[in-house]
Amino acid sequence: MFASLFGSKEMRILILGLDGAGKTTILYRLQVGEVVTTIPTIGFNVETVTYKNLKFQVWDLGGQTSIRPYWRCYYANTDAIIYVVDSCDKDRLGISKSELVAMLEEEELKKAILVVFANKQDMEGALSKTEVTNALGLTALKSRTWSIFATSAVKGDGLTEAMDWLTKQLSSGQ
Amino acid sequence: MSDSKYFTTTKKGEIYELKADLNSDKKEKKKEAVKKVIASMTIGKDVSSLFPDVVNCMQTDNLELKKLVYLYLMNYAKSQPDMAIMAVNTFVKDCDDTNPLIRALAVRTMGCIRVDKITEYLCEPLRKCLKDEDPYVQKTAAVCVAKLYDINPQLVEDQGFIDQLKDLLTASNPMVVANAVAALSEISEASPSGSALFDLNSQTINKLLTALNECTEWGQIFILDSLANFTPKDEKEAQSICERVTPRLAHANAAVVLSAVKVLMKFMEMMDPSGDYIDTLVKKLSPPLVTLLSAEPEVQYVALRNINLIVQKRADILKHEMKVFFVKYNDPIYVKLEKLDIMIRLASQGNIAQVLAELKEYATEVDVDFVRKSVRAIGRCAIKVEQSAERCVSTLLDLIQTKVNYVVQEAIVVIKDIFRKYPNKYESIIATLCENLDTLDEPEARASMIWIIGEYAERIDNADELLESFVEGFQDENSQVQLQLLTAVVKLFLKRPQNTQELVQSVLTLSTQNSDNPDLRDRGYIYWRLLSTDPAAAKNVVLAEKPLISEETDLIEPTLLDELICYIGSLASVYHKPPSAFVEGRAGARRALPTRSSGSGSASPEPAAAQQVQEVLTVIPTTPASQNDLLGDLVNLDLGPSNQQFMSPAPPAPAQDSSSFDLLGGGLDSLLDAQPQPIQQSTPSMGLGGPIPQAAAPPGGVPPGNLGVLGDLFGVGSASEEYVAPKEVWLEAPKCKGLELKGTFSKRMNNYYMDMTFTNKAMQQMSGFAIQLNKNSFGLVPAQALNISSPLNANQHIDVSLQLVINAQHMQRMDPLMNLQVAIKNNIDVFYFSALVPMYLFFTADGNMDKKYFLNSWKDIPSQNESAFVINNVTLNSDEIQEKLNKSKVFTVAKRRVEGQDMLYQSMKLVNNVEILAELKVQPDNPTLNLAIKSKVVDVAPAVFHSFNMILHG
Repeated sequence: MFASLFGSKEMRILILGLDGAGKTTILYRLQVGEVVTTIPTIGFNVETVTYKNLKFQVWDLGGQTSIRPYWRCYYANTDAIIYVVDSCDKDRLGISKSELVAMLEEEELKKAILVVFANKQDMEGALSKTEVTNALGLTALKSRTWSIFATSAVKGDGLTEAMDWLTKQLSSGQ
Repeated sequence: MSDSKYFTTTKKGEIYELKADLNSDKKEKKKEAVKKVIASMTIGKDVSSLFPDVVNCMQTDNLELKKLVYLYLMNYAKSQPDMAIMAVNTFVKDCDDTNPLIRALAVRTMGCIRVDKITEYLCEPLRKCLKDEDPYVQKTAAVCVAKLYDINPQLVEDQGFIDQLKDLLTASNPMVVANAVAALSEISEASPSGSALFDLNSQTINKLLTALNECTEWGQIFILDSLANFTPKDEKEAQSICERVTPRLAHANAAVVLSAVKVLMKFMEMMDPSGDYIDTLVKKLSPPLVTLLSAEPEVQYVALRNINLIVQKRADILKHEMKVFFVKYNDPIYVKLEKLDIMIRLASQGNIAQVLAELKEYATEVDVDFVRKSVRAIGRCAIKVEQSAERCVSTLLDLIQTKVNYVVQEAIVVIKDIFRKYPNKYESIIATLCENLDTLDEPEARASMIWIIGEYAERIDNADELLESFVEGFQDENSQVQLQLLTAVVKLFLKRPQNTQELVQSVLTLSTQNSDNPDLRDRGYIYWRLLSTDPAAAKNVVLAEKPLISEETDLIEPTLLDELICYIGSLASVYHKPPSAFVEGRAGARRALPTRSSGSGSASPEPAAAQQVQEVLTVIPTTPASQNDLLGDLVNLDLGPSNQQFMSPAPPAPAQDSSSFDLLGGGLDSLLDAQPQPIQQSTPSMGLGGPIPQAAAPPGGVPPGNLGVLGDLFGVGSASEEYVAPKEVWLEAPKCKGLELKGTFSKRMNNYYMDMTFTNKAMQQMSGFAIQLNKNSFGLVPAQALNISSPLNANQHIDVSLQLVINAQHMQRMDPLMNLQVAIKNNIDVFYFSALVPMYLFFTADGNMDKKYFLNSWKDIPSQNESAFVINNVTLNSDEIQEKLNKSKVFTVAKRRVEGQDMLYQSMKLVNNVEILAELKVQPDNPTLNLAIKSKVVDVAPAVFHSFNMILHG
């Protein structure tokens, strides 16, 4: 309790999503506020991100098919999930949805807050927030605090709104 | 209450607690937990279940924690190969870290994680680290390349890491150079193509020599070892390298010294033996070698084993240092024995008095092994230094007087050798020897004594009595003694035929009929037959003048010695065996000393070496008690021309004739008649079982079926071994007016045959058979007319073998290449068919390429000439495949095992000198083989594939 008052309690956040969705870019955008060149994450990145006096321990896990089975190793004690979707990758939205659904069924993530980033909005042909919402079937979610934001990690659009919402939810949940 | 309570516990256990701590967000707690995990790991507890949790601690800015996690990874990545992928990203990041220590740590750990699935991801970071600005990172990366090569050689070659390593040879930092050298040498040793990867040129040599002075002792050893593999272009270059290597002789580390010695020993081969520079080097080599002998005993031993080689190669290096090899009372036995050996090698007229005095001293020590070897050493001195022989003999006699049993026995063994070396000189001592007859209980001593008695039977009055007493216990003797006894009694008989008939008869019976030792039996039969057919010849054979033995008998064979010199300072030089003899899977090229290139090309030491080999060879077969003796005889008997002098003056073997002079008055003859049976049982078709004239005939004259065992033994390769496909139907009776023809092609004794079965399925007689072959790719024509003289009646069949020969005028390219069009005629009609001649018939016996040649040929042939095939349903393992193909002259040049599958590299040569290369991939438990064929003549590929298919399914 005291820890949270002084803002030193680290929140644990997972950034998940299919490969190439922009997870690592988002992580470093949040941490250093810059766009870094990334290579496919074979494994994970973990960084401490401070946002509005709140400290987050953010885990960015690789999205490759070979790595997805190991996401579950990171579920314990997770406060929030940032699920990143490549809004241009219409072909794989279905896979993205099934991964999300499977994940949300996990017992360990029952209480985790879900933020979906409909990423790559800067690209031509990107699906809108609503379209992504429908494609992922988010509206069907019961007993889950969730929200979706249209973002562009490269341009930085939407990230602040999303993080604001998330911090608000997290602090109210304490 | 049920017993299940014992299994339920409220405690969650250590692992559970550790897991919780590892996931804690307090850094201190985390670190403590990782330390606990490492502690458990070190004492052997299985903490692999914590793998994901520990890996999650990997990304930390705490160096200590990172090191611990890396340690854990090295240990457990192998047991969690799938999960290990989660560590990849951290490696990639750490290889980019600003701290060079972290970069090096990451690249080092990567090299130690032997998990196939992640190696490909580690190539990029490795490449980056090889180009790192920090030398420590660079050198760690260089070592990592060698480790990677061990897991996946193909990957290393494809990624160009070897070229990057070569670039590092010219780096400015000596540590980087040394490690690049180390990595490259390790890779080239592991690579199937041998040292081809690692070509040093004068420029890089210069770099290495510069780095040599500045790097660590390990680095120096690696650099010196690779220098030793370099062949300078001329004497001058060799000299200048030696000049810069010589200071290393003063290094405190014994391994560095030995490696430097190796370089100098090798390069000295290239220098003018009479030049001043060699003298200088010889002088410089001696002190460091002597210094090695003041180290601890284990190092001394290694030094002594190496010195033993060096002394055999160049005795002058240590000729003045005899004293340092004198045995100290407190030397361990292994050092003592080795020193003794070197003492003998260094013994010369000048120092023999000193040496003998020492040896006599040693012979009174307490350690039995050492005493024995000392006594033996005295004998070897006598043989080596002629002037000292008399002194040695008297020393030995003194020792015999001590009556110490094992001393006496050992002395008798060496005196036998002295007799061999100086015949008719010291026989006066025989009486003294005979006094000790009863005390001899060791086979070698008994055998030696018996040899002496046999050899000097004419001078020992009671030789027959002495031998008789031995013969009484014949069956209890060791086979070595039995063989000697047999020979000695025969000698005695030939020298003093009166009164000894009975003895020789009994010993021949004992050795032929009552013994199950084939060596003894065969020798017995040979003597028996010699005695009964031609006693004069027997005399000439058994009492032939023996070549003198010399010191060379216990020297290492010169080609082996030269090879071992190339391995000074390694295990091979301690074992005195080439690495291929004890390192599994080592197929690397044999190392050889460089030769002097100046002057005429024939200035190489080869002729001298060859001569020495011959000398050694000539000694072996006649050494008493040697098992080789018999083998030597057999070889002579059957392969005639190779070593005639032992048979000489061999009279022409007389025909077995009952009227031939019978020494034993018929007694033997009756026995002889009964012989062939037991012999044939023991050694079927060895050629010896038959009458004598045939036994002596060269193998060429023996019908092929009879070659059997001997043919195999001497690699004559009998024709019946070669694969022959089962006969197939060439003409079908219903279509050919009742004539059925089945046939196949075969090769026997290098002749080609068409083996055919003609069957008459018609109602009437057939006659007038004839055959004609159309022009074909290999120009096969019948050597004679079809030989079916009598008419073939209804329902009869006849087997015909038609020899074919190659006639250049009959050649015409066919399509398919091996197609052969045949016409068969009989009194009814003419019938046509075509058959495929299997290409393996045309593979020649000299198709076995040398590895290097194979490799070069493979590279030379453009890849569009390569064709790939799949052979199905082969249930043989790679060894069986190899053997089968080999019989049909498909030679396996090299075999390599990659990821559980065997790669066979094979070569063939056609009669028209077309060379064919093949690569056959065999996977265990997989009946499907992959075959790749390369040849300058592309068209042969399908026929080769067809041949493989036939042979492997036959």
